[in-house]
Amino acid sequence: MGWSLATLFVSLRLLCFTAAVFEDQVGKFDWRQQFVGEVRFAVFDTNSQASKKLLVATEKNIFASINSRTGDLLWRHVDKTGPEGHIDMLLLHGQDALVVVGNGRILRSWETTIGGLNWETVLDTGSFQSAAFIGVQDLVKYVAVLKKSALSLHYLSNGHQKWVENLPESNTVQYQIVYSGGSGQVLLLGVVPNSHIVIVEYNIEDGEIMRQKSVAAPWITSLQSSCVVVGSGVLLCADLTTQSMYTFSLQSVEQTNMNQILLQTLGLEVASGFQPVLISTQPHPARPPLSEFVLQLGPDHHILLQLNDELISPLRDFNPSFLVAFATTGEKTVTAVMSPKNTTACSINLYSADTGRRLLDTTIIYHKDPNGGRPAKLYVHAFLKKDDSVGYRVMVQNEDLVLSFLQQPGRVVWTREEALADVVTMEMVDLPLTGTQAELEGEFGKKADGLLAMVLKRLSSQLIVLQAWLGHLWKLFYDARKPRSQVKNEVTIETLSRDEFNLQKMMVMVTASGKLFGIDSKSGTILWSQYLENVQPNSVFKLMVQRTTAHFPHPPQCTLLIKDKNTGLASLNVFNPIFGKKSHIGVPALSRPVLQSLLLPLMDQDYAKVLLLIDDQYKVTAFPSTKNVLQQLQEMASSIFFYLVDSNQGRLSGFRLRKDLSTELIWEVVVPVETQKIVGVKGKRANEHVHSQGRVMGDRSVLYKYLNPNLLAVVTESTDTHQEHSFVGIFLIDGVTGRIVHEAVQRKARGPVHFVHSENWVVYVYWNTKSRRNEFSVLELFEGMELYNSTVFSSLDRPQPPQVLQQSYIFPSPISTLEATLTEKGITSRHLLVGLPSGAILSLPKMFLDPRRPEVASEQSREENLIPYSPEIPIRTEWFINYNQSVSRVKGIYTSPSGLESTCLVVAYGLDLYQTRVYPSKQFDVLKDDYDYVLISSVLLGLFFATMISKRLAEVKLLNRAWR
Amino acid sequence: MSSPGGPGGALSTRGGPKRNKWALELSLGSTRSRGDRQNKEGDVMYPVGYSDKPVPDTSVQETDRNLVEKRCWDVALGPLKQIPMNLFIMYMSGNTISIFPIMMVCMMAWRPIQALMSMSATFKLLESSSQQWLQGLVYLIGNLLGSALAIYKCQSMGLLPTHSSDWLAFIEPPQRLEIMGGGMVL
Repeated sequence: MGWSLATLFVSLRLLCFTAAVFEDQVGKFDWRQQFVGEVRFAVFDTNSQASKKLLVATEKNIFASINSRTGDLLWRHVDKTGPEGHIDMLLLHGQDALVVVGNGRILRSWETTIGGLNWETVLDTGSFQSAAFIGVQDLVKYVAVLKKSALSLHYLSNGHQKWVENLPESNTVQYQIVYSGGSGQVLLLGVVPNSHIVIVEYNIEDGEIMRQKSVAAPWITSLQSSCVVVGSGVLLCADLTTQSMYTFSLQSVEQTNMNQILLQTLGLEVASGFQPVLISTQPHPARPPLSEFVLQLGPDHHILLQLNDELISPLRDFNPSFLVAFATTGEKTVTAVMSPKNTTACSINLYSADTGRRLLDTTIIYHKDPNGGRPAKLYVHAFLKKDDSVGYRVMVQNEDLVLSFLQQPGRVVWTREEALADVVTMEMVDLPLTGTQAELEGEFGKKADGLLAMVLKRLSSQLIVLQAWLGHLWKLFYDARKPRSQVKNEVTIETLSRDEFNLQKMMVMVTASGKLFGIDSKSGTILWSQYLENVQPNSVFKLMVQRTTAHFPHPPQCTLLIKDKNTGLASLNVFNPIFGKKSHIGVPALSRPVLQSLLLPLMDQDYAKVLLLIDDQYKVTAFPSTKNVLQQLQEMASSIFFYLVDSNQGRLSGFRLRKDLSTELIWEVVVPVETQKIVGVKGKRANEHVHSQGRVMGDRSVLYKYLNPNLLAVVTESTDTHQEHSFVGIFLIDGVTGRIVHEAVQRKARGPVHFVHSENWVVYVYWNTKSRRNEFSVLELFEGMELYNSTVFSSLDRPQPPQVLQQSYIFPSPISTLEATLTEKGITSRHLLVGLPSGAILSLPKMFLDPRRPEVASEQSREENLIPYSPEIPIRTEWFINYNQSVSRVKGIYTSPSGLESTCLVVAYGLDLYQTRVYPSKQFDVLKDDYDYVLISSVLLGLFFATMISKRLAEVKLLNRAWR
Repeated sequence: MSSPGGPGGALSTRGGPKRNKWALELSLGSTRSRGDRQNKEGDVMYPVGYSDKPVPDTSVQETDRNLVEKRCWDVALGPLKQIPMNLFIMYMSGNTISIFPIMMVCMMAWRPIQALMSMSATFKLLESSSQQWLQGLVYLIGNLLGSALAIYKCQSMGLLPTHSSDWLAFIEPPQRLEIMGGGMVL
């Protein structure tokens, strides 16, 4: 029977090659969210009244257009990651947006309505400084790009270069500002730090130097942010050390020194240590800037000033004020100022820029999220109302990268959580049971107290369940009478409960900005978010689930370890993953840098798993560290091991815990750092189950798998990147004993190496430098035809080394990430989830990566369902689990088992988020979506009635025959 | 249904020009039948010397005894005679696992088992034979051979759990003795 079952299963597996979705299933089990990241430049399209375009360029090298009514993306262009795709500048003129990309490498013009490319020019080399529109007589025809040593002028219409000029004395002078007042000249401002400012004037037609001048400014260090051009060509600088402002007319011939205006004379004072910032506005690129400007004197203090004939007069003092921004509509320019209202809200007001008068009825109340960060950037979209007054909307970006779009009097039109564009790590946590289910569960958890009491308790809990069921029925009945549109199926924290098959889970996501999210996996709704302040930009995060929801009435508990790379110090954040509330449990003070953490399968009396933290002296701190835990640790100490991998020193070391929570070094493996570098180490996932302990051969004997739970896969890359000498090394090391179980070197191979370690196999991908292609390689370990010890596994008692089989394949695409599916019991066959740079996620059956694939098919291999070896692995489009929903820049794929053995939940994160389900062996435990319930039930009913009727007829007939 | 010579019961009306649909006579007379339709049969008068029970023929002849013996051997050799037929079916059905071969095998296995279960009934059949025990033994052997054949067929089809792979699903994952964890230095 066993054999027939196995055969049946294998034939099921053979059926599972197709995995595509049907058209009506699109979006049923999956969702995608697209993000842009932290906004660097944002420009509102103010050309027409009805325009709803918002153009953003972000730190993630993305140029996108957002619908300002809904917050949805109209279009998005994802450029290369890193400095190559970095967006240096965004300028908007009419329908065209000009973008300088990659430190001045490329100048592009985009059509903003549909996001099409108008033209693109490659610029000369040199680091980018600035870019500006050059206007002549109210017409903007050119754009000037300033590099470190050259200035070039391009036509706006086609991008062709009008002229390019080398800058005089560019090795000593730092040119930083290019300016045009619309009067037919191009002014270039440069600085020699602590010495003087250089002003060069170019002819717009041929690039000839018209005038060159230098002005002494011994206090100056940089032009950017401390100097602006205001009014009709007046250079204005602010300086902290001399506590004064300087003006200099760029047009004047006779002026040789800057006019100094002491801030004291204006009655102003700069906050100590704060570099004053000047903000000016140029409403039209072909006209000179306004003579009004804003001076920021402190982090919360701005002042609106006016320059009038070299005299500066204050118009309005905004104290306190967080953010100030200018906006222009028609002929009117306004200043929007965000100032604190109370502890939970800010108010934004509009002031006329030329008078400093507050405009009536222009207050927007902005309510701060108590779990969010401070507002960091303010973008204003002003428009003229019908009665010629100025109306406006604002977009606020917070420190936690929330974009909120507000309109009067404070309605939030939309918000975008852009922190999710950079998810670092995530976990999926089961949702809690409903109250009634929990009641039933709780019954089993309690201690038995007498037969009668138990019976009564059971009866009462059953009664509660019945009551809940009736309530549910009543609700169904009640809702059924309402029109469909009114019945809201919104997910809120209150209505969260586990579904029948545990397919809906809570996704706990940790983002690089230090914001935590709790997202419902079914709909993608953000149920809670929490911003952790003071998280350094290059911190390392490790998220652990200490207590799952299975231990009612104890709440589930997640612990986030954040390590600051600079100081090495770590902190622990304990929170409830379902509600996002910070836990009040006391965390141990970590005074020493933490090297690693280790989640033990031991539990304290409150069912929280014990977390061990190893500091730089190899001492261990336990959390929670109750007496019970310490006692358990003492008992178990001799069987608790941990390993540390120091990539910089190329050292792998294994430690054993002592009873006094100190450790002893028991093994060490040194990989010479001169030749190779450890790039990754992976053990097996703690929640992985392997159902079958071996593989059935064609002759029906068993080849047992080498399932060492302590096995580590270590991948190294050579330091020599020459294509003839580079190699990739893979070591399989037992983490307890330090024994090298297997090592393999892939010559003429180069990283980046992606690898998966699961069950008894390791799959890794590398770049073959000789054949110039991506290759998959699979290592599989077997114990042999006999099990050494079938009851317990101890790394300390393994006399025989495993048999290792290896095979390699060609993969026709580069990959960006690799992960394996995971199911509840491990019966379902495994698939590899491959994230491709094209944005597709490929579900590749592990069957194709099997080192036992024979070169020539034999009777036995056919019996075993082994596919004959072919070097290429195909990419079939029906294997793309995200069909046409491309996921940009996939950084990681997270897999989690569901309550159904056939189903694995998948979350791909990177720039976008994508959640779906995969069925590696098809849905063998669920009726299909298109299952014909009506037909089956009507057939059943029909048969039932037919039997009834025929029974009756038979009775009558028998009776009649009896009468005959 | 009707028992013409049986003991009497309630009798319906006798024939006559006027027939009631039914009538009940409570007295226990020589009444026999129940329905009026049976009247005609009930009215039949049996001839003299007619008896309901067949008279057993007590004179057993030698030829009949041979016949009985032959008949009994037929019964005893029945299962053995089926074996060549079974072999042919086995050969024809092949070793693939699909619904028809499975049905064949089930039939082949079930029939001898059924026969063995009703062994006592067969023995009753063979009661009259002189070589009862020998015939019984032959019958038994025939059936055992039949079931052996079925088992062999199962074996060749791979339905018997005789290999280690058949017990693979029941092997529990070994318990791990060491706890290990760690990773790259954070």
